[in-house]
Amino acid sequence: MMFPSSLAVILTGILLGGLSLAAFGWAWLRGQFSNLDAQSTVILDTRDYLLERPWETGVQRAEREAAYGPLVKPATGEWGGAE
Amino acid sequence: MSMRPLDAAVAPSDYDGGGVDIRLRADASSRRPALIAFSLAIVWLLLGSLWGDLASFKLHWPDFLSGAGWLTFGRVRTAHLNSVVYGWASLAMIGTALWMIPRLVHQELRWPRVVEAGIWIWNVGLVIGIGGILLGFNDGLEWLEMNRYFADPLLVIGGGMIGVALLATLAARKVSHLYVSVWYIMGAFVWFPILFLLGNAPWWSGVESAGVNWFYGHNAIGLWLSAISLGAIYYFIPKVLGQPIYSYHLSLLGFWTLAFFYALNGMHHLIGGPLPTWMVTTSIVASVLMIIPVLSLAINHHMSMVGRFGALRYSPTLRFVVLGAIAYTAVSLQGMFTALREVSRITHFTHWTVAHSHVGLYLFVSFVMFGSMYYIMPRLVEHEWPSARLIRWHFWLVLIGIAIYVVGLTIFGVLQGLALLDPQVPFERSVTASLPGLYLRSLGGVLITAGHFVFAYHCYQMVRMPAVERALPNFYEVRPVIYSGAQVEEAS
Repeated sequence: MMFPSSLAVILTGILLGGLSLAAFGWAWLRGQFSNLDAQSTVILDTRDYLLERPWETGVQRAEREAAYGPLVKPATGEWGGAE
Repeated sequence: MSMRPLDAAVAPSDYDGGGVDIRLRADASSRRPALIAFSLAIVWLLLGSLWGDLASFKLHWPDFLSGAGWLTFGRVRTAHLNSVVYGWASLAMIGTALWMIPRLVHQELRWPRVVEAGIWIWNVGLVIGIGGILLGFNDGLEWLEMNRYFADPLLVIGGGMIGVALLATLAARKVSHLYVSVWYIMGAFVWFPILFLLGNAPWWSGVESAGVNWFYGHNAIGLWLSAISLGAIYYFIPKVLGQPIYSYHLSLLGFWTLAFFYALNGMHHLIGGPLPTWMVTTSIVASVLMIIPVLSLAINHHMSMVGRFGALRYSPTLRFVVLGAIAYTAVSLQGMFTALREVSRITHFTHWTVAHSHVGLYLFVSFVMFGSMYYIMPRLVEHEWPSARLIRWHFWLVLIGIAIYVVGLTIFGVLQGLALLDPQVPFERSVTASLPGLYLRSLGGVLITAGHFVFAYHCYQMVRMPAVERALPNFYEVRPVIYSGAQVEEAS
């Protein structure tokens, strides 16, 4: 009863776990876990940092400007909005 | 969170977003397939919503439209589930993945025609499967009701064509580092076919069939629907805010713990069933371990938003995605507690479970998909959403609707469970105890459906808008999309 009723689930659980383990090993060997702070920025390009965000406070805006340079006005509907 | 200087944080190489040119080329490559996927997703969303409302009405008006076999509860409720899971949610996620992966790997989408064909084949499978369910052909396993010989193979072929094209795009990537969203999305495209083939295999029977059924059902939620939605959350929150996620380390911890622990969760659906106790107990332990990925997302998303919640007023994308992220935390915590035997005794076989599943599949997955589409669609059709008013209507209708739905069914589901547990209480009283919740469910469901029709109409307006109007900018200054108080008048 113990194994006949659950063999499929055990084997598939091992398969999925094994795949995850293999992917983890590959990621480790390929350096996917190094320099993580820089990795976190891959989705943002220079323009993303420079866009003026209307919801940011004066302090936040000044911080952004100090870090990235003069801010630029966003294009129409930059954040998926509408008018 | 303080800003990091541009020159220190972003080296002009792999770690740069790649610039607008790469984004535009990536967007152009996936434009047609993503638009087809989104359009068909909306069709299934409307159909699924109507089936859902009809099923809900029948719970308190059992004679409502009961004359025809194809309109009976067992068929329309099943048609609802399959329409929203494999039609709406899956196609919306496929559209989102098709748009995000080329952007994230700096490579144009490979074989877009194959992807388009795959999307159509997937939809033919859905028409056969869901049409078959309405005609009475049902495989009899929850989440796997579509015919395994005529419908499911088409989903495997269609989904396979899409997945292979995405894997080919990934293989040809021009970046070495894979952002966490890529891990979530591509993981889902590897896990789901294995699970779907396993679940639909015809040789399971008896107890083993029940075990495989819930192994599939729960993993379809966690390793397919949740995985792509989480990938979208990790893309859209930092993208809209213009700053990296609070802790990238935590986001990766969340992904890998989901990858290692989630697959074992499903057996907690069979607490009290005739399965080996160790299996159910292992599943309960794995369910509790989900606290790691859940808290990693909760901390990450909250800390990324701290000091910037005002952005929710401006960006419908952020509003839907952040609410979806909150719902993920809520539904996962609910799920962990429900996996405990003591809690399951009360909630199992009650309407509480329906509320729980809607927090997950609607408030989490669907909200994230709405948010994603609000961001992606203008970039696909190169045109802004025509109406802030319609966005507001959509948002408030679905939010109020799901709030009524979930609160009603949760409270009256627990009352139903307590009545069921008491041997002194006749069964009939457990039914009457849940009746107010069923009315609230229908009310919430109707509001949600109305919101979906608003969204569909808005999408239609956007895509069909004449080119001459498209060329005109809609507004020159950024103003909030959600208004409060005096701003409402100003906006209208």
